[in-house]
Amino acid sequence: MSGGKPLSRFHQPIEVPGRRLLHHIHLNFVKKKVVGGGGRSMNQEIPLIPFIDFLLCIVLFLLASFSASGELPIDKNVKLPNAMNAIEMMEAPIVAVTATQILVDGIPAGSTRAIIDSNTKQKIEELSEILKNKRELWKQLKPNEPFPGNVILQVDRKVPALVVKSVFQTAAFAGYPAVSFMVGRLAKE
Amino acid sequence: MAGIDTGGGHGGKRSSNHEIPLIPFIDFLLCLVMFLLVTAVWSHMARIEADAKVPGPPREDEQDKIEPEKELHVHAKERKFQLVWKEGSTVVEESEVERVSVNVGDDVTFPELAKKIGKQWTDHGSHRAAADKKFDRAILHTDNNTEFGVVIAVLDAVYTPQREFLVGNKTEEVPAFHVTFAAK
Repeated sequence: MSGGKPLSRFHQPIEVPGRRLLHHIHLNFVKKKVVGGGGRSMNQEIPLIPFIDFLLCIVLFLLASFSASGELPIDKNVKLPNAMNAIEMMEAPIVAVTATQILVDGIPAGSTRAIIDSNTKQKIEELSEILKNKRELWKQLKPNEPFPGNVILQVDRKVPALVVKSVFQTAAFAGYPAVSFMVGRLAKE
Repeated sequence: MAGIDTGGGHGGKRSSNHEIPLIPFIDFLLCLVMFLLVTAVWSHMARIEADAKVPGPPREDEQDKIEPEKELHVHAKERKFQLVWKEGSTVVEESEVERVSVNVGDDVTFPELAKKIGKQWTDHGSHRAAADKKFDRAILHTDNNTEFGVVIAVLDAVYTPQREFLVGNKTEEVPAFHVTFAAK
């Protein structure tokens, strides 16, 4: 009854009980390993703890750099110029100047075409009103802090200087003397 | 894997050993990483400063008489740039640079103008010490039809000379000029 010998010369459907799993492998050293007899076990523990630590570090880094407000809103009609000596962006109202219109944080605040047609530097009334309202709102929200007067102009590279000067002057007289121009970064030579 | 083993479980009582379910925890962390990576924002935007020299409300500590300081007037003309150092209405020095533009992709740069302005600041700049809170002023004169891309290129050239500036106990490299636009 031992060693898988047949009980008779006829094929019998019932075989002698015993270990079957992986015993059919002919290479002895492989068989020895896989059936667990002798040598070191083939089972391996995956080192999950350092993996979790790594994941946690990534999560913390991404959470720290997460911005709920998303990318700075750039009007699709504005193609910005690039500059080498640019500095980091800051939080301030954004005035977008496209080839056709002027927008403050996405709200229409004047027409570029009208300024070009008039061919004179002028105060843009709608823009002035919106910026003044924003300033008043800021002062109501932070009554004890001095108003910084920052505004960022997001101007298309093809817009003529006349329009830029008009927007610049309007912003300055609406109480925003610290004007910045949004640009892309150009690598320094 | 990770578990809590108190070594009990004998005498018919239920064992208090527990395996911490790490697999769902890792799945959760991976989902979080993927969400944060997808929504991550790496902004490449920057800004160039300009300030409007407009009168503000009168201050108590304001001086009655302000001595005129040297200012650099940069005139962007069709074929050349004119650089004029003025002290009040007195012209201190005047020089010219050819308008040689170098295209970088779709952008225009004026490296010759940047070099000249750097040299001019070395010769005439008044505010160079790191502890000096004031900056030299440059005033940009441009034609009304000049494209904004060119205006930025000129501003970029004016901002090329850098100086040290004391912020707290540290010194930082900042542009030597503050720029404003000429108003006609």
